[in-house]
Amino acid sequence: MPRDPAPYREYARVLIALGRPVLADSIVQRSRDVLGTAHDLSMETAQLRAAQGQWEASAVAWRRALAQSPYLASAAAHALAPTPVGTRDAVRRVLLAGRALGERRAVAELELGWGSPQDAWDALRIVAPDSGAASAWAEFGERALGEEQFAIARAALTASLAIRRTPELATRAADAALQAGVPSDVALLLPLAEVEGDPERLVRDYLPLHVAALSALGRPADASALVERYDRALTPGQRLRMSRALATAWVRTGDLARARAALGTAGDADSSEAAGWLALYEGRLGDARRLLRSSREPGPALASALGVVSRTRGDEGAALGAAFLALARSDSATAAARFVEAAERHPEARSALLLAAARIHGARGDEAGAVALWSRIVGTMGESPEAAESELEWARALRRRGDVRGAIARLEHLILGSPQSALLPQARRELEQARRSIPPP
Amino acid sequence: MTRMPFPHLRRVLMCLVALASAFPAPGAHAQRLLVPMDDAQTNHLKAYGLTYNTMKAGVVAEWLLNYRGGSFLLPDAPETRRRAALDGISVELVSDASLATLRRELGGGNMESVPLEKAPRIAVYTPPDAQPWDDAVTLALKYAGIDFTPIYDTELERGDLSKYDWLHLHHEDFTGQFNKFHLGYRDAPWFRDMYAANSATARALGYPHIPALKKGAAERIRRFVEGGGFLFAMCGATETLELAIAAHSVDIAGQFNDGTPVDPEADARLDWKRAMAFRDAHLERSPFVNSMSDIDGHQVNVPGRRQPLGTFTLFSFSARIDPVPSMLVQGHRHVMNDWYGVTTSFNKSTLKPGVVVLATEEGAPWVKYIHGDYGKGTWTYLGGHDPEDPQHAIGNPPTDLSLHKSSPGYRLILNNVLFPAAKKKPLKT
Repeated sequence: MPRDPAPYREYARVLIALGRPVLADSIVQRSRDVLGTAHDLSMETAQLRAAQGQWEASAVAWRRALAQSPYLASAAAHALAPTPVGTRDAVRRVLLAGRALGERRAVAELELGWGSPQDAWDALRIVAPDSGAASAWAEFGERALGEEQFAIARAALTASLAIRRTPELATRAADAALQAGVPSDVALLLPLAEVEGDPERLVRDYLPLHVAALSALGRPADASALVERYDRALTPGQRLRMSRALATAWVRTGDLARARAALGTAGDADSSEAAGWLALYEGRLGDARRLLRSSREPGPALASALGVVSRTRGDEGAALGAAFLALARSDSATAAARFVEAAERHPEARSALLLAAARIHGARGDEAGAVALWSRIVGTMGESPEAAESELEWARALRRRGDVRGAIARLEHLILGSPQSALLPQARRELEQARRSIPPP
Repeated sequence: MTRMPFPHLRRVLMCLVALASAFPAPGAHAQRLLVPMDDAQTNHLKAYGLTYNTMKAGVVAEWLLNYRGGSFLLPDAPETRRRAALDGISVELVSDASLATLRRELGGGNMESVPLEKAPRIAVYTPPDAQPWDDAVTLALKYAGIDFTPIYDTELERGDLSKYDWLHLHHEDFTGQFNKFHLGYRDAPWFRDMYAANSATARALGYPHIPALKKGAAERIRRFVEGGGFLFAMCGATETLELAIAAHSVDIAGQFNDGTPVDPEADARLDWKRAMAFRDAHLERSPFVNSMSDIDGHQVNVPGRRQPLGTFTLFSFSARIDPVPSMLVQGHRHVMNDWYGVTTSFNKSTLKPGVVVLATEEGAPWVKYIHGDYGKGTWTYLGGHDPEDPQHAIGNPPTDLSLHKSSPGYRLILNNVLFPAAKKKPLKT
C-alpha cells in the first residue's frame, strides 16, 4: 500500500511518543515525498512541531488538522499549552484567523489555561450561532462556573440559552448571573410564567433564585410577596428555607423587626445564621458569637464579623451592633464612625475595631481617614495582631501616592518590628518592589 | 585609575589560604555571624549581597569553602543583623568558643577559609536603555543589592574599563550580527531600534559598520583580561567574543551586517592564538542558519541540530589546592537541570588545553561552565541565558528572583562576583 498514509502516521506517532521528534519529522517528510502531501499527517505534524518548540508552526498544523477533525480541539489546546509567553500571540494569530468552531474552541481552552478567561470567551463567542455553538458555549459556561469566573459563565450560558432554551440551562444561567453580581438578570432568564404548569419545578428551582435575586436587589418585600404567592406549593422543608432566605433579605436591609418575624415563621429564631446577624445588630454579642460560629455557609462577611466579635468580651455591645447595622444598610460613613466609637467601649478589641473602620475608610476612598487609623494602631498598639496589617496597608497607601521612601521606611519597620508576622513574606516582596530590585508586576 | 596587579592569582591564593589558617582572622576576638549557605539558608542570593556590602563597608569577611554549602563568616554588627533581618537572610551567632570548633572542623576536611577583603568594582557591558531584568547577571546583582555600573561601546572606547575589576558580558553578539535575529525579527521595532542605535554609535566612534565596532569592543575586553581583569560571560557573549577576537583580521559577518559576504577562507584565517578559551572552531557561514559556530553544543535555534536539555554536574575541587575553581562552584546543589541560551554549552573539542572545566553533562560532548587564566587576568564562561527560565524566548516575562531565592544556577553567577574579592596582599617571600 505505497500510497496509504496509515503506516507513516502510526510510525510518526510512535516516535513522538518516544520523545524522538527529529526522527518523527523525517517520517512526515518522507510521507510528503511519497504521497505528495502531508495533509493526512496534520495532527502528527502539529504534535511534533510542538515537541520541537516550534509553536507557531504547530499552530498552523493544528489549524489544518482541526479543519478536518474539529473534535481535536482539546488535543490541540493540550499540545499548545506550554507555548512560552512571548510566542503566544503568534499562536493566537494563527488559530484566530478563521471562525471555525474547532479552532475557536482550541483557543478558548488555551486562554482559560493561560489565565485569560475573558480572551477565551472573546475567541469563542463569535462563532456562527448554531446548535454546535450552543453546546460549546454551554460547556464553556459550565467550566467557567467551575472556575468561579461568574461573569464569563453568565455570558456563555446566556448566549447558549438564546439558541437552545431548556429549564436546566436557564437555571444555570440565572445562578451564574446571581453569582456574577447581576441579580436583575434572574427575572429575565427565569420567567416564572415559563414553568407555571410545573409548580414542583417552579418552587424547587426557580423560586429560590428569584428570592435570592430580590434579596440581593434590596427588595425583601417583593421577595416576601413572591413566597406568599406560591406558599401552597411549598413543602415544609422548602417553606423553612424560604423563611430563612426572607429573614436574610430583611437582615440585609437592616429591618430587624421583619427579620425577626421571618425567623419566627421559620421556627428558628434562635438557631440560624440570620438569627446570628440579628443578634449582632441588636448588640447581643453572646448570642451573635454562638449563632454565627455555627453557620454552615461561611463567607467573607461572616468571617470578618466573627473576626471582630470573637475578640470582644462580654455579652452586650450596642455600639458594635450599631456599627454592623450601619454597614448592612450601606451607610459606610456612619459604620466607620460607629466602629471607632465601639473601639473605645471595647479596649480588648480596640485594634481590630479600628482596623475595621480603616478598611471602610479605604473602601470609601478616604485614604487620609484610613492612614490616621493605621498610624494610631501602629503607634499605640504595636504589639497587636492588627499592627502588621495596618502598617502594610499604610505602606501601600504611601506607594500609591508616590512616596516610595516613606513606604520603604514603613515596610522595614514592619519587618524588623514584627518578625513573627504571617505578613512578613508579603512585606518583603513589597519591599523588593518598592526598591525595584525585582521586575515590576 | 590604576588597577592592582593580580599576578598568578591561583598560586597566590593557595599560599594565602594556608596563611589564613595559621593566623587568627581579623577581629577574631569579637562575635561573628555565620551566614549558612546549605539548606538552612532562607535566601541564598541575598546572602551574597550581604557579604558584598559588608566588604564594601571596609570590613573583611570570610568565605568558608565547602563548609555548609560555602558559608560566609561576617563580623557581628548591628547593621549586618538589620540587613539580614530585612532581607530574610538566615544568620547564626558564633561565639569565640564555637568559632574555634568551626575552625578545627575546617581543618579536618576538604574545606578552607578564604578572606574576602575588598569589594570588586563591577561593570556590566549592556546597552544604556537595557532594563536590569534583561540579563541574568544584572537581575541577580539588582536582587542581591550589589551595585554595578552599566557600560557600553562609548565607555569602552573612552578607556573606562580600567576603572573596574570585574566585567560581565551577556547578550552581546561581538561578531556584530545580532545573533542573526534579523532572520526572524528584522521588522520588529525592538530589532530596528537596536540596529539603528548601534549603527549610530559605530558612525560616532569612527567605525565603518557594526561588526567593526564590536570587534573593537572585543579587542578592548581581551586587553582588559590580559591586563589583570576578571571577565565573566554568559550566553551568546561567550562564543561571539571568542570568534570576534579570533577574527581580528578576517570578515566573518554576513552581508546583512556589513554589506559584504563572509570571507570564503574565514575558517582557515581565524587566529585562535589570540582567543582565551577556544580553538579550531568552525564558523556557521550561512546567513540563514541561526548559529554562530560549532562552539555551542546545543544549537537551540537550528531546528535540525537542536539538542535536548539534560542535567549537569559541578566538579568538586580541593579547597586548599584549587581555591579559585572551588569558589566558582560553591553551592548547595551539585547537579542541576540545564537551561538554554543562544549559546547553551561548549563543545569539548573546541576547548583550548588548560581550560578548567567547572561543570559538565555526563556522556555529552559538551561542557557547561569553564574557567581559565589569560595574561594577568581570568575569564569564566557559563552557557545559557537564565538558570530559572530554561526555555527562555524573546518576549518572555522577566524572572522574578524573589520566587527563586535559593536558585543554585544563580548562585554560580554570584560566586563569580565575590571571587575577585579574594584578592590577597602579595607574599613577602
